[in-house]
Amino acid sequence: MKQSPRRPWLPLMLVIIGLFLLVLRETGYLSPVESVFGYVLDPLQRLFAGVTADVGNMFQSVREARELRAQIEELQSRADTLMVGNIRLREYKAEVEQLRVMLNFVSEYPISAYVGADVIGREACDAFPCGEVIGADPNPYLHYITINVGAKHGVEVGDPVVGAGAGLVGRVAEVGPRTSKAQLITDSDSSVAVLLQTSRATGLVVGQLDGTVRMKYIPQGEEIEVGDVVLTSGLGGVMPKGLVVGEVKAVEGMDYELHQEAVVQPAVELDRLELVLVITGFEPVPRDEETPPSEATPEATPEPTPEGSLEE
Amino acid sequence: MNLYVGLPLLTVVALVQSVLLSRVDLLGARPDLMFLVVLTWAVARSVDEGLVWGFIGGLIIDLRSGGPLGATALALVVVTFLAGQSWGQGIGSPVMRLLVLALVGGLAYHLILLIVLAWTGHTVDWSFSLLRVALPSVILNMVLTPFVWQPMTWLGRRLRREGLTLG
Repeated sequence: MKQSPRRPWLPLMLVIIGLFLLVLRETGYLSPVESVFGYVLDPLQRLFAGVTADVGNMFQSVREARELRAQIEELQSRADTLMVGNIRLREYKAEVEQLRVMLNFVSEYPISAYVGADVIGREACDAFPCGEVIGADPNPYLHYITINVGAKHGVEVGDPVVGAGAGLVGRVAEVGPRTSKAQLITDSDSSVAVLLQTSRATGLVVGQLDGTVRMKYIPQGEEIEVGDVVLTSGLGGVMPKGLVVGEVKAVEGMDYELHQEAVVQPAVELDRLELVLVITGFEPVPRDEETPPSEATPEATPEPTPEGSLEE
Repeated sequence: MNLYVGLPLLTVVALVQSVLLSRVDLLGARPDLMFLVVLTWAVARSVDEGLVWGFIGGLIIDLRSGGPLGATALALVVVTFLAGQSWGQGIGSPVMRLLVLALVGGLAYHLILLIVLAWTGHTVDWSFSLLRVALPSVILNMVLTPFVWQPMTWLGRRLRREGLTLG
């Protein structure tokens, strides 16, 4: 075992280089360099994610095969019953195909049309880029995901990212040539202007380090009910209106406080994301066209949100 | 430096960290393979190699993260530097010393990550981060250290036999 550096200047030099990189990154000079590394690392990560998914599926398949064998006998006995049901299902299939055509039509129109959809079908990928989640953030204090669509697919920084059922996942924070990093709504730097579907009370959904989200700055007089649906309000102009954020799980707040808070259960299971949809058609409203001061809401002023937050 | 061995290895470690381990959450604890690999390599081989590994490995991790580039690299350089100090030399077996280094180095690693995040404008909840993320992660990584130590010492012996160095 060898201890103490033979080159005493090495630690100091590496620390200086590290600090230099930090400063360069913060000033934005490193973006081209990161893109170059992205060209190398992104395909590798996609390949690796694909291989691990295949291996995982293989093990799952073996386990499922055992279960299936046991079920075959039971299913055999139900075959006659299913035969009758099958005729009815054909009728349903025809109906579903019609509905799909309608959904596809609707999805090419205003984004609010997504609200209420149960599943984002693959056909939606014709209108917007669908990204598979190929990695989570290795830094334990950040909540980002890496998705396999990037600038080549028309993705830009700031594009909203949604999951199944048009549930808000987050917003694109960095774009590489073929991959992007999306900041999840659970990231502690993320804040989204929202409103409650029933009471129309507005507030900010802010990410927490423990992976939960809280709706803050709800005026004290507003009545909040557990189970109330939380939607994006569109205020601030950086996020489309009407995307489902989640539902109220608990209400917190003392009478003497100015605002109430609510614990929000995200609509999408963010730690089990596989497929997401990036909304590229949405054009954020420029800052100088934001809500005038006379209509100022808690979203506009509550407390300075750090750089890089979802709602600026 | 033999980049043909070191770079692919560190890249694979970073990908495992990003694709698989970053989804693991055991009561707030998350295994940090890059930290363990760098620390054990610094103890098994040399601090100089550990420093270079830590810096390059940290940069690859940073490139996969949405956080500031250089944060993990800085943290791992400091961890390796700590591993090279003589204060832990008298502690029993190498594995025992490694556990102490995993404890001290792990705390330093998380502290530096948080300082850099705060410095670069990210929101940092210090008490929650230290008590609910850093501490459980440090304990988990201490438990995992011996499992990484074995393959790393094997790799070190193998490379030494073939006359290769990684840093």
